[in-house]
Amino acid sequence: MALLEVTDLKTHFRTDDGIVKAVDGVSFSVEKGQTLGIVGESGSGKSVTCLTIMGLNARVNTISSGEALWKGQDLLKMSSRHLRNIRGDDIAMIFQDPMTSLNPVKSIGAQLIEAILLHRDVSKKQAKARTLELLKAVGIPRAERRVDDYPHQFSGGMRQRVMIAMALINDPDLLIADEPTTALDVTTQAQILNLMSKLQADFGSAIIMITHDLGVIAEIADDVVVMYAARVAEQAPVDNLFRRPHHPYTWGLLGSLPRLDADVERLVQIQGQPPSLLNPPRGCRFHPRCPYVMEICKTTEPELLQVSHDPEHFQRCHLDEETKDREAAKLTHLGDAA
Amino acid sequence: MATTESQAAPAATNGSGDELLVVENLVKHFPVTRGIIFQKTVASVKAVDGVSFTVRKGETLGVVGESGCGKSTMARCVMRLLDPTGGRIVFDGRDITTLSRPEMRPIRRELMMIFQDPYASLNPRKRVGFIIAEALEVHKLGTDAEIKRRVQELLEVVGLNPEHYNRFPHEFSGGQRQRIGVARALAVNPKLIVCDEPVSALDVSVQAQILNLLKDLQTEFGLTYIFIAHDLNVVRHISDRVMVMYLGHAVEIASRIQLYAEPKHPYTGALLSAVPIPNPALGRERKQIVLEGDVPSPLNPPAACWFHPRCPRFREGHCDVETPPLYQFGGEHVAACHYPLERWPMTDEEMRRPTGTPMSPPPAAAAAE
Repeated sequence: MALLEVTDLKTHFRTDDGIVKAVDGVSFSVEKGQTLGIVGESGSGKSVTCLTIMGLNARVNTISSGEALWKGQDLLKMSSRHLRNIRGDDIAMIFQDPMTSLNPVKSIGAQLIEAILLHRDVSKKQAKARTLELLKAVGIPRAERRVDDYPHQFSGGMRQRVMIAMALINDPDLLIADEPTTALDVTTQAQILNLMSKLQADFGSAIIMITHDLGVIAEIADDVVVMYAARVAEQAPVDNLFRRPHHPYTWGLLGSLPRLDADVERLVQIQGQPPSLLNPPRGCRFHPRCPYVMEICKTTEPELLQVSHDPEHFQRCHLDEETKDREAAKLTHLGDAA
Repeated sequence: MATTESQAAPAATNGSGDELLVVENLVKHFPVTRGIIFQKTVASVKAVDGVSFTVRKGETLGVVGESGCGKSTMARCVMRLLDPTGGRIVFDGRDITTLSRPEMRPIRRELMMIFQDPYASLNPRKRVGFIIAEALEVHKLGTDAEIKRRVQELLEVVGLNPEHYNRFPHEFSGGQRQRIGVARALAVNPKLIVCDEPVSALDVSVQAQILNLLKDLQTEFGLTYIFIAHDLNVVRHISDRVMVMYLGHAVEIASRIQLYAEPKHPYTGALLSAVPIPNPALGRERKQIVLEGDVPSPLNPPAACWFHPRCPRFREGHCDVETPPLYQFGGEHVAACHYPLERWPMTDEEMRRPTGTPMSPPPAAAAAE
C-alpha cells in the first residue's frame, strides 16, 4: 500500500465572482522513501493540492472532495483534532517563504521545542537536546549558541534550514516541501537539496517537492506530476518524463528553461497566460496556448491516458504519436551535444 | 596597495576604443555608526571593494554572485544612485564619478535601469502611460502629442497592447509589468541599461518571454546591457562576457564561452556545479561541489583571498596570507586565484588536490611591487 494515495482530489473555492476550481481531479500516490515532484506555473494548483492534503485551507467557502488516504485513513474526512496530531508529526511541511513562516518574536529554539512538546511526551531538556541535534544535522554552525537567536539574526538560507529542521524534528514519514529553494541562491539551493536527499536516505521519509524548476525536479524527484490549470497534464517516472515528454505544456516548460548543457539562440515561449480557473477553457485546458492545437482540442478534453509501451507514463493530449516523437526529440536531444 | 593596482591593470589596459563604460577600482563602503547625537563610525561594510571592468558598446556583461556579494551596490554606483567611496567610473568617455546632481541630469537619460521586483518598481497610483512617459517629460523630449505617440509605440515594442495606455499597474500580470519596466527604460533611448535581476521574480515561462524580449531589443536598437542575476543559466543565455563577484570583488571575468567551458576560479566551479540540470541522467553522473557555510560578512571579510574559508583548494600559509591578483589566462580571461582549476569538469576530490606550484605573479603585479 502506498504511503499516501490521492484519488480525484478537488478543491473549489467559493468567491464573489463564482467558483474557482483550484484543483480539479488530481490523483497520485507517494511510496515510502520516494520523492514526488509536482511542477507547473504559478496558479496551476500545486500548492493548493498540498494545502488540501494537510487540511490547511480555510474551512469557510472551501469545498473539497475526493480521497487522500494516509496509511489507509482519509485525511479529508478526519476531525481537526486528529489531523492536528498527524500534522507536524507524521506529515510535515516546509513552506516557500522562510521569512514569513517563522515567528519573529520567538527564538528559533523555542519554536522547535514547541514542535516537539506538542507531539511527544518528553521533558523540556530532552526536547532541547533533540533541537540541537537537528540544528546540527541541517548544518547550522555553532548550533549551541544560535539556538537562542531570533529568526531575523539568520540569513535566508539559514532560516530555510531552521524550517527544515522544524519539519524533520518528529521524524515525519512524509515531508511536503513547497518551493523550498525558490528564494535561495544556487549554492544554498544545492546545499538544501543535498541535505534533503541525505535526510531522506537516513530517515526513509517520503518527499513531495513542489517547484516550477524542472532542473530541481530532474535533480531530486523519482516521479513527476506536471500540473496545468488545476489538472494533471502528464505524470511519469522522472527518467521517462525527461526521455520522452508527451505533453506540449511539458515541452514548453522544458524549452523555456535556459540551460547550462545546451546552447539555444531563442528560448521557447509559451504564449499567453495561464487561464482563469473561474472559467477554464472548454476542451483541452491548454488549447488556447498550444502551438499544435487541432479542432478536437477545442471541444473535447483529452483523458489522462496511459502511454503505449510505457505503463507508468500518463498524459492528457490528443496529438498523434508521430508528431510527439518529432517534437519531443527536438528537446531531449538538446543536452546530448554537450 | 600593490594588489589593488594590479587588479585595475588588466581591465584598464585592453582598451580598443569601443568601451562604453570603464569602471576602475570601484569601492563602496557603508559606514556603521554608533551613538545618536554624536555619531561615530565604528566599522564599515565593504559592499564593493575594488572592482574593475569594462563594458563595450552593444555587448551584454553578465554579473553573477550570491546574495550579498555586492552586485546590486556595484550597479547602483555605476548608475550614480549611490556615491562611490573610491574609484573611477567613465561613461562614454566622460568621468562621471564625482559629477554633481545637475551635471548628472543630462547623462541620466543615457543610463537606465530595470529593477528586480515588477510589483514594487511601478507606482501603483500612476497610469502606465504616465510611468513610461515620465522620463520623456523630465527631459522635455517632445510635445504632449509626440510623447503619447512614443509611449504607444513603446508599448507595442515590448509586446503590450498600446490601448492599455490608461491602465494602472495592478491590472497587469507580473510578466506584463516587467515589460512596462522595460518600456520605461527604453523610453529615452539610453545607451546603457542596467538590468538588476529582471527575471528572478518571474515564473520560468514568463522568464523566457522577458529574456527573448531583451535579446530582440538589443538586436533591434543596439543596446548595451549590464545584466545582474544569481542564476547562471540565465546569465549564460544572455551574456557575451561574464563577471563573477564574491564579497565585493570580481573573482573571475571571461567571455561567456570561456567561463562556462573552462572556469578557473574554484568559486565559479562551485557555482557551476550547483546549477540543477534538467536532465536526470546527466545530473546523476555529475559531481557536485557543494560549498559549506554562507558568504562571510562584508563587515569583517577574511584576510588575503576572500574565498579561502570556503575554498576546497585552500592552501594554508599562502591563500590566507597573500591576496591573489587577477591572473591572466589567455584572451580576456582573468581570475583571482593562486591555484586555479586545471580542467573542467572536475570531481570534488580533484578539486581538493591543486597542482603543487602556485601561479606566478603577472608582470603587472611584479611591476607594481
